[in-house]
Amino acid sequence: MLSVGTANPPERYRQEDIIDLFEVPDPRIRSLFHSSHIQTRHLYLPPPDAKGLPSETQGQLLAKHLRGALEIGPQAVERCLQPMGLTVRDIDYLTCITTTGYMAPGLTAHLMKHMGFREDCSRADIVGMGCNAGLNGLNPVASWATANPGRNALMVCIEVCSAAYVFDNSFRTAIVNSLFGDGSAAVLVRADPADESRFAPQILGFNSHIIPPAIGAMRYDWDDDAGKFSFFLDRDIPYVVGANAERPVRRLLKSHGLKRRDIDHWVVHSGGKKVIDAIKYNVGITEHDVRHTSSVLRDYGNLSSGSFLFSYQRLMDEGLVQQGDLGVLMTMGPGSTIETALVRW
Amino acid sequence: MYETLRYEESGDIATITLARAGGNRISMRMVKELSRVCDHLEDQSQAKVVVFRGDGGSFSEGIDFEDFDPDKPMDIHGFNRWEKCCTRLERLPKSTIALVDGPAVGGGLQIALVCDQRIATSRSTFQLPEVHMGFLPGMATFRFAKYVGLGHAKRILLTCPTLDADEAARLGLIDRVDEDLDAAQAKAIAALGPNHSVAVELTRRLLNESFHTSYENAIGHFLAAQHRAISQTAFLETLRKQRQD
Repeated sequence: MLSVGTANPPERYRQEDIIDLFEVPDPRIRSLFHSSHIQTRHLYLPPPDAKGLPSETQGQLLAKHLRGALEIGPQAVERCLQPMGLTVRDIDYLTCITTTGYMAPGLTAHLMKHMGFREDCSRADIVGMGCNAGLNGLNPVASWATANPGRNALMVCIEVCSAAYVFDNSFRTAIVNSLFGDGSAAVLVRADPADESRFAPQILGFNSHIIPPAIGAMRYDWDDDAGKFSFFLDRDIPYVVGANAERPVRRLLKSHGLKRRDIDHWVVHSGGKKVIDAIKYNVGITEHDVRHTSSVLRDYGNLSSGSFLFSYQRLMDEGLVQQGDLGVLMTMGPGSTIETALVRW
Repeated sequence: MYETLRYEESGDIATITLARAGGNRISMRMVKELSRVCDHLEDQSQAKVVVFRGDGGSFSEGIDFEDFDPDKPMDIHGFNRWEKCCTRLERLPKSTIALVDGPAVGGGLQIALVCDQRIATSRSTFQLPEVHMGFLPGMATFRFAKYVGLGHAKRILLTCPTLDADEAARLGLIDRVDEDLDAAQAKAIAALGPNHSVAVELTRRLLNESFHTSYENAIGHFLAAQHRAISQTAFLETLRKQRQD
């Protein structure tokens, strides 16, 4: 993983700005927005309608998704490539990941047209896999890079969660609407012996875990009443994730002859405060281990698939990582699923 | 196998005896060996209780200054390794007991502080002399006040008195004074009851975190930890047994 770039929409909202903007009446919902683990989020929000609510049709939301994706996606790509002295013309394989808007052709085609990628750049879209999808994408991207040494693979997570909301002043939608933020993260992956002198982590392996009985715990499905797709988050998610979290981690480490104590850095998806707590107390990692996970949640909310790359970037910016350090990347989302990857700097 | 300590395991009980001539002082070698013991306890050992003792009439008289050369530039890495070792001892997936007989000084006292239970004979003494020597008493700065309160902690860390066992017990630094450490060990282990490791480990972690965690965060931590505990077979078996009774 040679470089990471991130981007968010220009408009940043404090939680209280949103409940004031849309005049949320229910004190339970207001208090949901006021809990301190999320302070700000970047969003593409419409002005309130005559009833004081945000109201966009599904068609308008999809158009907003593409519009937003073509703003923050290219910014993340440029911030990823520029430090490497590369442009999109140098990219040989592009994967785009999104859950917040379906379209055909997919985001890769739009991004390639918008940014001028080469016409022979291979591509793949991973759509609808949710918050864990960054690692589901990184797995084939890493395989492609390994099979094509020296060539540049780029993965771009683009989530416009503000194009995936139902706002009906119910508690169910309020949980979703108080949690997710918009953001994009791009990562450049290359397998080239010439890069070995660079200070960048090598991807050593992946381990997945799916929990079939919890297939309905996190979902984004059609709401007939609202005439829109709507997120649903079961209140037991943190516990389902927690009860299973140790298994993929144990398998991942065991397959490399490692113990939990050998891991220097944990890069965990900022799913929400309860999910982070569940990971801490079930995997046996500390507040310090999830400091970037918590601070990304505080500053951006849950950015879905690209979230772990924001935490990864903060870890790198901190300057404490040393050559030879080991890290575990961990994301969780619908399926229900937990994805893990092992890296070594 | 070890140069600075003895490690014995018998049934449920692992005993680590600090054993270096001259007061069981903590050298970098001892830190390494304690870390190796932690590896064993975490990876292989079936023991449920870990007991710390000292050899030759001391528990431990603190760090070994032979590792420091005043003519060379000082660095912090040895302290870092030592504190990491203490944290590992504090978080062992076993119940821990310090049995103190003789002086427990500086880092030696810190080993006692990271244990779940501390019992000492009346001839034992306790001291953190570091500030009088111009350096800091390690992460005792973090742990000590939790046992004795901030006022006593300031007095003891800043003025470095030698406490006798009775005063240490009165302050809460140790649990009790007992002349017969073998009998005290048996009592302390019996008091642990069934000693469910997950419940012990999580309760200890929440207690260790309690002084510096907001209630809002602590309740989340508790719920996550409780969910893990009630999903263990230990709790399910307790429930089934209660239904039968």
